[in-house]
Amino acid sequence: MNKKINNGLPRRLAKAALFGAVASFALVAGWTSSANAADEIVIGASLPLSGPLAGFGSFQQWGYKRAIDAVNKAGGIAIDGKKWPVRLIIRDDKTDPNASASNIETLISRDNVTALLGSCTPSLVNAGALVAERHKKPMVTGCDPLEAFKSVRKWTYVWDLFFDEPDLAGADFKMIAEYGIETNKKVAILHDNGPDGQIVGGQIWPAMAKAGGMEVVENASFPIDNTQFTSIIAEAKSKNAEIVLVDSITPQAVSIRKQMASAGFSPKILVIEKGAEPVQFAEALGKLSDGILVGGYWDPSFPYPGAAQLAADFEKETGQTSSQHIADSNSAAEILLDAIAAAGSTDPEKINAAIAKTDKTYVAGLIKFDENHTSKLPMAIDQWQSGKAIVVWPKDRATGKLLFPMPN
Amino acid sequence: MAGASRFAAAVAIVVVIAGLTLLPQFSGEYGVQIGFRLLIYIVLGEAWNLLAGYCGLVSLGTSSFIGIGAYVLVGVLNAADVPISITLVGSGLVAAIVAFVVSPALFRLRGLYFTVGTLALGEALRLFMINASFSGGAGGWFLNAPSPSTNALFYYAIGLLAAATIVISACTQTRFSILLRSVRDDEDAATQMGVRAFHVKLAAFIIASFLMGAAGGLQAYKLGAIEPYGMFGMQWTIDVLSLVIIGGLGLRLGPVVGAIIVIALGEYLADYPELHIAITGVILIVIVRFAPKGILGLGLQLARWLTAPRPASGALRSGAPR
Amino acid sequence: MPSLDVVASSLASGFFLGGIYALTALGLSLVLGVMRLVNLAHGEFLILGAYAGLFLLKWTGVDPLAGLLLVGLAVGLLAYPIHRFLLTPLRGKGPEAPMMTMFGVSIIMQNLFILLFSADTRSIERDYATASLSVGPVTIAWIYVIGFAVSVIAIGLVHLLVSRTAFGRDLRASAVDPFAAAIVGVDVQRVHAATFALGAACAGIGGTLIGIAFSFTPSSGATYLLTNFAVVVLGGMGNIMGTLLGGVTLGIMQSLGGIVLGDGYRDLVGMVLFLIVLAIRPTGLLAGKS
Repeated sequence: MNKKINNGLPRRLAKAALFGAVASFALVAGWTSSANAADEIVIGASLPLSGPLAGFGSFQQWGYKRAIDAVNKAGGIAIDGKKWPVRLIIRDDKTDPNASASNIETLISRDNVTALLGSCTPSLVNAGALVAERHKKPMVTGCDPLEAFKSVRKWTYVWDLFFDEPDLAGADFKMIAEYGIETNKKVAILHDNGPDGQIVGGQIWPAMAKAGGMEVVENASFPIDNTQFTSIIAEAKSKNAEIVLVDSITPQAVSIRKQMASAGFSPKILVIEKGAEPVQFAEALGKLSDGILVGGYWDPSFPYPGAAQLAADFEKETGQTSSQHIADSNSAAEILLDAIAAAGSTDPEKINAAIAKTDKTYVAGLIKFDENHTSKLPMAIDQWQSGKAIVVWPKDRATGKLLFPMPN
Repeated sequence: MAGASRFAAAVAIVVVIAGLTLLPQFSGEYGVQIGFRLLIYIVLGEAWNLLAGYCGLVSLGTSSFIGIGAYVLVGVLNAADVPISITLVGSGLVAAIVAFVVSPALFRLRGLYFTVGTLALGEALRLFMINASFSGGAGGWFLNAPSPSTNALFYYAIGLLAAATIVISACTQTRFSILLRSVRDDEDAATQMGVRAFHVKLAAFIIASFLMGAAGGLQAYKLGAIEPYGMFGMQWTIDVLSLVIIGGLGLRLGPVVGAIIVIALGEYLADYPELHIAITGVILIVIVRFAPKGILGLGLQLARWLTAPRPASGALRSGAPR
Repeated sequence: MPSLDVVASSLASGFFLGGIYALTALGLSLVLGVMRLVNLAHGEFLILGAYAGLFLLKWTGVDPLAGLLLVGLAVGLLAYPIHRFLLTPLRGKGPEAPMMTMFGVSIIMQNLFILLFSADTRSIERDYATASLSVGPVTIAWIYVIGFAVSVIAIGLVHLLVSRTAFGRDLRASAVDPFAAAIVGVDVQRVHAATFALGAACAGIGGTLIGIAFSFTPSSGATYLLTNFAVVVLGGMGNIMGTLLGGVTLGIMQSLGGIVLGDGYRDLVGMVLFLIVLAIRPTGLLAGKS
């Protein structure tokens, strides 16, 4: 028995020593890889590349990289008469706000970044943005609805371009009024209780419905990661709601649509904000996605410079279908790069001042920041028709006709 | 342990902690930030080690107490102008009170059932906070007070570590440790010998929960924005569990070694977003497989093996059980 | 107060959905009861089953319901080496080491899901997944009824396997006292490995049902893991028929919670129920072991 153990132990120790050596090498490498070449501009971003929001992160990563690659292809950014290349460092925050905050800390203090780009969704963006604010580093972000962004604090160094919740929530009612759509005016609202869900579903939709002479027969909220919606759907069905407004992320959006069908409930208008936007929603649902409406702030058909090209490039490079998130992320990075070029300096104050002066139409639309550091992307309404997102409102941007009522 | 060596250990601890306060003078901002994360993890690890390593209470409810501490800190600071150190004590106290309240139910559970019960507690609290309107639901709360400097945070963390070290040393270096171990090794036998197992477990649980609550409060003070997914999330529970297992369960310095490894790995691998989670998983499995008493345990074993007289190799194995 | 048909439909849905919960939780319960292992990768086995069902349909056109056994076999076969090479060496080292190892496995699997299948939300698209069944005032989803039937059959088969076969005898012996079982000649490690694979196979089958009825992403496993723990505790760890009872109880209680407090409180009601049962009756609602 002893003999066997004594043979095993040194082997185990050797393995452990090997592992220890690898680990300590990794450690040392990690601590020393911080030095930057003096003549490059470093931009950092923390993104959800794993965890529940990994889907958003991959689109943003592409959007950010594309903008930086484009600048580098043109030779970099001119500072003091010399062209500096730009390096982008991306860290994964695992969809955890704690990690988002510490990633931004590391990017600032270890990598000595010049400026930052944001993560996605209010909790992740805000956690990192507060760190940037504290360290007085400029950050441009998308993917954080403006009311949720503004509610955190009065920002000095962080800038947000995205849709504004009242615009998103109001678009549906405007469309119904404008197109003279006839229903029994009974509205059921199902929303998650995330920061933007509370604003859209809890406050704005009920107010808008009332203002539009409609009756809210149900207003139910649920946690973001809920899986079962049978009771609220049965309730909406029994109250005979013909307009159903949902605000949830994609997995829940898919489950809600399936559970509505299996409850035999088919309203005339079904809006699913947030979750129904990506193509994966329609892919997961197939025929069931037909007729579902979702607010969108971007489509390749919009009259913005390079819009069609952006989507085409994404699809060519990744083999995946594009999402509107490539537009705001790409524009956020371009705004930042333009501001650094305009400042002609890596001084954070000068860059921040240059961002404030932004007034240009980017691929995501016209960007001009207001006193709250926000720039609204105007809303359109898309409708899924045979697996394709068709812009149905406003009229001047429509790429197809509204399908009404929703097919059964 | 002899009196002299115990004194030497105490002096060493004081010197190390005093030395830490000088860190901001030498290291840059980055070092101080890493130092803060390290100290928080060490405190959490020490608290969990007291529960699992010394008392046999393998808890998966760490996140509950961190979350409670975080919400108390932000709630109190937003409501009144209270000094941060008092607020941190408040965070710990509320966490300890919650621990006290749930303990009669939880301590009915032994072994695995306790583990699963604490997991449910954490999850129930998270779900409650997501739905509760007083705490802003999933939106959470923002801290109105101005955000602290990195150095200030670091000094608070040192203070927390010093408090944790004193309390946990008091538990593990006195006769209380014998009670803890007796409950861990065989609760029924200990009870028959006159040990009040319930009180021993309660004391350990309350102390650990206090420390976790205070650490959660300090983390919230750093973040400035809290919400249930981040503060009551399973990732806290898992991180703390892994750092203690990696460092060495039941070893006094195990959490320190484990925290260094976990922080360093997380920090380094975040630069390689594509595969970093899988790599973390592989490293975890390898350490658990080849270093059953953690990296510190392996180091101690190595030291003993090197110093042991070669022919008497049998002595190596006959160390104290557990 | 909601109308009678809403209440009746919700309760009926809860009942049948509870059957699906039971099947997804069966593997966790077996592994807990027999091996004393908190399998933190259980949720990922479930999701693996959902992906297996999805790709079975996409590549071969075989309906996932017809291919359930195939899915179970595939997930079970993948799980067997995990036990053989990762868990067997850890025997006798306390409960934490295997638990951590399975956590490692779970994050590796999540990462692989993202790399191989992207982070997209998926769902298995079938007509019967969204067909509704109306009986009087009660309307429920066909898929819940189908899932319930599949679960009852699968749970019944596992029950027979454990109570009537030689393997079952070894399994029960290993669960009650692994040392005594080893002394009388039971190869405990082999039994454990087979139990582990069986548990994963059940999870895989349950995962396919989840994939048909709902939606899933690479990180969905954690949500189901917690629901499953509640089922296991309600039914008693390692108690096979108890799992069915636990699942149905949880389904109905969640529906009640959904009706009274709103669907947002469903999972919370489940967790609170879980805590109460744990505190009052730690061995589960059904006394005794199977």
